[in-house]
Amino acid sequence: MQTASLCARFEEMGTALTQKPHLKRLGQLFSETVLIEVDDQQIYLYFHRGLLERVEEGPSSKIPWRFALRVDGEALDAFWHPMPAPRFHDIFGFVKTGRGRIDGDILALVKNLRFFKEFMALGRQKEAA
Amino acid sequence: MALEQIIGRYVTIEVQGRKNRIYFEEAGSGQPVLCFHTAGADSRQWRHILNDPELTKAYRFIAPDMPWHGKSLPPEGFHEEEYLLTTEAYMETVLKLVEALTLENPIYAGCSMGGRIALQLALKTPDPFKGFIAIEASDFQPAWYDIDWFHRPDAHGGEMGAALVSANIAPQSPESERWNTQWMFMQSGPGVFRGDLSFYTQDDSLIGQLGRIDTGARPVHLMVGTYDMTCTPEDAKRTADAIPGASLVVMDGIGHFPMSENPDVFRPYFVDALAKMG
Repeated sequence: MQTASLCARFEEMGTALTQKPHLKRLGQLFSETVLIEVDDQQIYLYFHRGLLERVEEGPSSKIPWRFALRVDGEALDAFWHPMPAPRFHDIFGFVKTGRGRIDGDILALVKNLRFFKEFMALGRQKEAA
Repeated sequence: MALEQIIGRYVTIEVQGRKNRIYFEEAGSGQPVLCFHTAGADSRQWRHILNDPELTKAYRFIAPDMPWHGKSLPPEGFHEEEYLLTTEAYMETVLKLVEALTLENPIYAGCSMGGRIALQLALKTPDPFKGFIAIEASDFQPAWYDIDWFHRPDAHGGEMGAALVSANIAPQSPESERWNTQWMFMQSGPGVFRGDLSFYTQDDSLIGQLGRIDTGARPVHLMVGTYDMTCTPEDAKRTADAIPGASLVVMDGIGHFPMSENPDVFRPYFVDALAKMG
């Protein structure tokens, strides 16, 4: 998937997020910048109080981010499949299988783990529609 | 009828020299089957089996909450100690319950850490049991995450734990049961999931010992779900292969909490497991 397409996907997920009142409530204290790295593409997600305010294409050495999810594109596509296969059904599958990693301020992720995992799964919901 | 057949009771046993008031649920009559829950959860994981009108005609299912879990209080003085479960304490809890409840020749069924203990019991103290059903069980699972995240003052261990273990639940499992399964982790006492995982991810004492299990006298049956990322089908197969005479079934489309997350898929596999116990 090209960077522009990935950005569009995340923007669509941001729109879907506005339709999920429980995620807005769960993410009310989540105002962070998250780096998503897919293969050699970098995308910055700007969250504010549980909403995705902006998606920005990278790479950039000037944008500070709180934590990063790095994954190969094939694994992310498998994760976004409407009925993902075992080990591609959760972002931690990337970590367990060595297809991705999570780094940065893990505490910020831990505190908002359900919110972030459900946000990432919104890409799957779009594909299933 | 809205009234369920499950009955809850308490019994006090002594484990490692300390009194523990244990809560257990039971249903049915006939061959006793002890049903042990996973780390970070409680006996409610077994509620569908205990409410099964057909199975309870032939089996008496008993599902305890381990000390510190569910409605079993921690032992006196817990407020000043770090909870760290050990293989020895777990095994003693099981054996003391068998004694206190005067169970004759019970089948032992346990999931995850309960499944690990099934293998430990089969190896070290098989005598009181008729057979062992080890669910989502393997010889050893090193941590693929830092367990200290589950207990710290600046994050909610229960909510974080539930959000992490959802990685072990199959997407095909019914939404209501996926969330019921996670709720138990959300309710878990502070530090309990971490304390369970401590022994589960560090005690590798079964490695090299599984060949000594005598399945001729007491069957050992392993069960594993394809969506289990903690104990994968490969982990369970490695373990089953090391136990002469053990059997293994891989359950499609189910995860680490099969009896709780998808009872309809789990049931026929469990019926078959019970039949294998003789």
